[in-house]
Amino acid sequence: MRLEKCWFCSSTVYPGHGIQFVRNDAKIFRFCRSKCHKNFKMKRNPRKVKWTKAYRRLHGKDMTHDSTFEFERKRNRPERYDRNLAENTLKAIKKIDKIRSDRASDHIKNRLKTGKVQRQKEARKQLEQGIHLVKAPHALAQDSSLCLPKIKVNVSQAQTEENQPMEE
Amino acid sequence: MCIRVIGASNHRYAHIGDVIVAVIKEAVPNTPLERSEVIRAVIVRTRKELKRDNGMIIRYDDNAAVVIDQEGNPKGTRIFGAIARELRQLNFTKIVSLAPEVL
Repeated sequence: MRLEKCWFCSSTVYPGHGIQFVRNDAKIFRFCRSKCHKNFKMKRNPRKVKWTKAYRRLHGKDMTHDSTFEFERKRNRPERYDRNLAENTLKAIKKIDKIRSDRASDHIKNRLKTGKVQRQKEARKQLEQGIHLVKAPHALAQDSSLCLPKIKVNVSQAQTEENQPMEE
Repeated sequence: MCIRVIGASNHRYAHIGDVIVAVIKEAVPNTPLERSEVIRAVIVRTRKELKRDNGMIIRYDDNAAVVIDQEGNPKGTRIFGAIARELRQLNFTKIVSLAPEVL
């Protein structure tokens, strides 16, 4: 049993799923589901289809080079079964998986950081320029601070008592 | 061109591993087989998906058959293209051994 990668979207194909297509030159294309298979039949290039891993890696949306990918390289030599080795491998798989996903999410977070900063700058500017939509100009003249007033709402105990009759 | 599926009724299609009776429509010159000769062949590749017991589904790019004689030995000496593994269970061992790739 072997966990393959879908040729189109690069997700793992578990046993019992998907279709394998054998071309006349004996190249095998594995697909995880009919969506990928149909896109392949339409002759779409996965590097141009936005939701595939190939596109995301090509356009720098996802992590490309990392040492954790070395562990997943295909090895053609079968290993002699050794219980200790199998046990350690299973533990290592879990750990490496966690490390890889953490690094991948960090990569995405870093990528989105510049956008967040930009959005905050724009929000601050909008606040300065558009304060007349929130507070009337004459009121602003009286209190010329540009910050919005902080409103504190006290949640009273009486509210929870009111809700109890409804639970009948 | 397929005339009949051996061992099957009229309302059955042939799949990978079935022996069919066929007639030759086009032949390469200077070969022992000639046009409009009725021969037997075993199907080795189909465009229709082949379903395996382990849930694997395989589709090939074309439909192909290997010309055989009455015992099941191939009439030719070479086979082109990939062959399905099911043929080994059906005792077409010579074909499987000649195949460049068994998938």
